Amino acid sequence: MREILKMIVVLTCISGISGFALSSLKQMTAPTIELQLLTFVQGPSLKQVLPDYTNDPVQERKKFTNPLTDKPVNVFPLKVDGELKAVAIEGFGGGYGDNIGVMVGFDLEDNKLVGIGITTMKETPGLGTRIAEPDFRAQFNGISESEAKLKSQGGVIDALSGATISSGGTVAAVQDAGKIYSALKADILEAFK
Amino acid sequence: MAMWKEFSKGLWAELPPFRLLLGLCPTLAVTTTAENGFGMGMAVVFVITLSSFIVSLIRKIIPKKVRIACYITVAASLVVSVELLMQAYAYPLYQQLGIFVPLIVVNCLILGRAEAFAGKNPVHLAVADGLGMGIGFTLSLTFLGAVRELFGTGYVFGVEILSGSFEPVEFMIAAPGAFVALGLILAGMNYLSIVKAKRRGEPAPENPSTGCHACRACAGHK
Repeated sequence: MREILKMIVVLTCISGISGFALSSLKQMTAPTIELQLLTFVQGPSLKQVLPDYTNDPVQERKKFTNPLTDKPVNVFPLKVDGELKAVAIEGFGGGYGDNIGVMVGFDLEDNKLVGIGITTMKETPGLGTRIAEPDFRAQFNGISESEAKLKSQGGVIDALSGATISSGGTVAAVQDAGKIYSALKADILEAFK
Repeated sequence: MAMWKEFSKGLWAELPPFRLLLGLCPTLAVTTTAENGFGMGMAVVFVITLSSFIVSLIRKIIPKKVRIACYITVAASLVVSVELLMQAYAYPLYQQLGIFVPLIVVNCLILGRAEAFAGKNPVHLAVADGLGMGIGFTLSLTFLGAVRELFGTGYVFGVEILSGSFEPVEFMIAAPGAFVALGLILAGMNYLSIVKAKRRGEPAPENPSTGCHACRACAGHK
């Protein structure tokens, strides 16, 4: 009896201390990790959205609350020579392996897409990963949100052969970003004036 | 002196991936470049040294029957810490190593040292042992990574070594190249052992048969 009690107490203590230490470490590193994600994941994707912006969108990003999910969402302003050209919002859609994250740029004047960039994906190398290639991404340039669907869904996007699910996931992510954009548009205009 | 003995055995006599053949999964998987091998090695040094330290510290209060669970809890916590710290301060390396960082938990080297050494020895010896094993592991991975990077791309640590007419053998940085490189290194080490034994006037270890003694690793000490 004593032995069993000792086992339970020791193992519980070790697990408890570990859990406590890890949760405090996670809290301590959270802001730094977010910054790293911005620099190494979201930042480079902005270059794919609008290659010729001249400002620092990561520095100038603003945080909004997504009214649909109540979660915080980053909005990146893309400026050319000081003039606000577009805003970029990240959306997610289910791919073949995990969610696909897509950074979508919206033109504030006519609400059309200026371009998309892939942030995160775990698609099959050589098949699904082709969604990140310029040929596929370029299909999204200059179309409206309602057109940004696969041809089988009544849109204008050609799905990649052999990667229909990944193509569909990208479209779903674009639609997701579009919903956030529509819901936040008034706030965004206000904030970046 | 005792500390030095425990420390130095991990550097040659019991060199983890090449002598004990422990921790081969990351050894083969991440050594496409010298830098990746080094980064993985440093993560393991951190985990194994601290896990040896903590396990040795609490070895007297750990009940025998749940010791493996305790060791794994300690190792897993340390690995998650490494993962968080790597994400915060070395994100590109984290992207390169990917799934192999969390997999350090099940690297048998960590649990092996906790069970075989740290759980039975005082703190200072356990730390020396962990540090030695970790550094030996790092050196091995960096060496293997450098060999594969050199023949696969012509670069080592991103510095061009072979240029001009050299045609990179892309096979070397693909998965099968890891096995070939590891095999050649093991053959080289066995050859060295034979030469060393001959110089000391001892009979050369016999050709491999079946069983543990076939490995020349412990041929030196009976």
